[in-house]
Amino acid sequence: MMRINEFQLTDLLIKMYDNSAEAIFFFDRVGKVIAMNNAAQQILDTEVLKRMAEGDPKAICMTCKGYTNEHELQTCMSCYLSNPTEDLSSFQVYLDTVGKGIIPYTASYQTIDKENGIRAFMLRDLTKQYRTQEMLNQRTMMKSIIKAQEDERKRISRELHDGVAQEILSSLVDIRVLKYMNIDDEVLKKVQQTEGSLMHLLDDIRHLSVELRPATLDDLGLEAAFRTHFKWIEKNYGLIVHFSAELQSKRYEGEIETVVYRVCQEAVFNALKYAGTDDINVRLFEEQGFLELLVKDEGVGFDVNHNQPIGTGLGLYGMKERAELVDGQLETRSLIGEGTSITLKIPLLHSSSEGGPGVENHNRG
Amino acid sequence: MTIQKTFNYQKEIEQIKTQFNFDFVALALVQSTNQLFELKWTYATGNHSNRFRRIVLRTGKGVAGNVLKTGKPMLVEDMAPSLMKNDLHNYLLIVGEGLKSVGAIPLYKSNRVHGILLVACREGRKLTATQFTQLKQAIGPEFGPFYNKEMFRL
Repeated sequence: MMRINEFQLTDLLIKMYDNSAEAIFFFDRVGKVIAMNNAAQQILDTEVLKRMAEGDPKAICMTCKGYTNEHELQTCMSCYLSNPTEDLSSFQVYLDTVGKGIIPYTASYQTIDKENGIRAFMLRDLTKQYRTQEMLNQRTMMKSIIKAQEDERKRISRELHDGVAQEILSSLVDIRVLKYMNIDDEVLKKVQQTEGSLMHLLDDIRHLSVELRPATLDDLGLEAAFRTHFKWIEKNYGLIVHFSAELQSKRYEGEIETVVYRVCQEAVFNALKYAGTDDINVRLFEEQGFLELLVKDEGVGFDVNHNQPIGTGLGLYGMKERAELVDGQLETRSLIGEGTSITLKIPLLHSSSEGGPGVENHNRG
Repeated sequence: MTIQKTFNYQKEIEQIKTQFNFDFVALALVQSTNQLFELKWTYATGNHSNRFRRIVLRTGKGVAGNVLKTGKPMLVEDMAPSLMKNDLHNYLLIVGEGLKSVGAIPLYKSNRVHGILLVACREGRKLTATQFTQLKQAIGPEFGPFYNKEMFRL
């Protein structure tokens, strides 16, 4: 055990009192402030300081906005100052501070000198800790929201594909049988029209299913899913996507594939809506342990720092959020008149386990 | 039928464009009459790009898609951006060509929409309801009969 003499200890305590970021107050038996350190003086209003110097035991109440008990977040019920019998070694209190407004503090209120009734009130700022907590919560929340959305889409997509589409197909077969029965020309013509409509309907439902979540992504991987998607984009929106994949049909972790697919989908859709161009380039490749996606157009471009987007502005934010889920980085570069390029970089950690058996169906279910 | 085959659509839509002083006229016709029919913009005049020609029209998507779905003419005198905000991707022809007032008419063949004639101006409210009615009356049977509500009652 380390031994220090009394003098050194006093020195250390004084240093702590002077330099600590924690606010320290000393109260006497009647609730008068006898001393406070620099940190304490900084958070208090001049009016409060003046009243404290005058010895007003109620001065602290001008700053204190209540503490947290089992019933309420901010309460004055059985005040910690006037009711020091409870265990007050750690509790939460809200103070109205200069410059920062009402913020939470972790406080302790303990008797340090029983004979004279001197008590020490120490406060530690909680804002930073709260912010970290909040960000952590937000990230976990975002992760589960995105996961819930993907799962739900997968479920509906499969239902459409395996249930509804199959039923329509069997009706279609019935109608085709009808064509070979002994019916007159007028009926035959109508039957052919109905067959056409049903085929269209079937096509639409398949598109809807793929749009929600492509089964190809789970079964065959990114490359195949992208090729189908881009073909569909060209057919529906007239935008030509020049796609080059340098992955040799390699498979990745389900979460990574989903992120890459969704980010690319969003980026291409943005280009389609706002770039005002006829064709875009998409490149998918692996480099130095990173899976990279590049979506580039030579359209009108936009001001990256401009904070009022034409659309909802959620697209870019969502892409970033998704990228962060797999520790990826998203970079948006754009100049007005010179087009936009979006780069997604995802680190590949478990490169050895890829492509092995059992990976094919990792995303199913 | 034979009239429709020899009918010069391109010349005809150009004539409509001049006659009514439109900025843009396009005609979509059913592509393959066999099993899976597709509706694509085959004739156009006054266009800036040819991107929209690649689009296969889908029922319910965009102005033409609505006409295809309902089988009724449609007129939008002022294409406000707020109208398209949520599904901008369905209005690529309109956005891409910068059209502001748009009208579309279904063309029928054997009781089905066989084609769509779309006329537009690049200025809001330039294409008016009266003009649209005049256009509907001017469409000859060569385009394919244009059915209105009264004809359905027959």
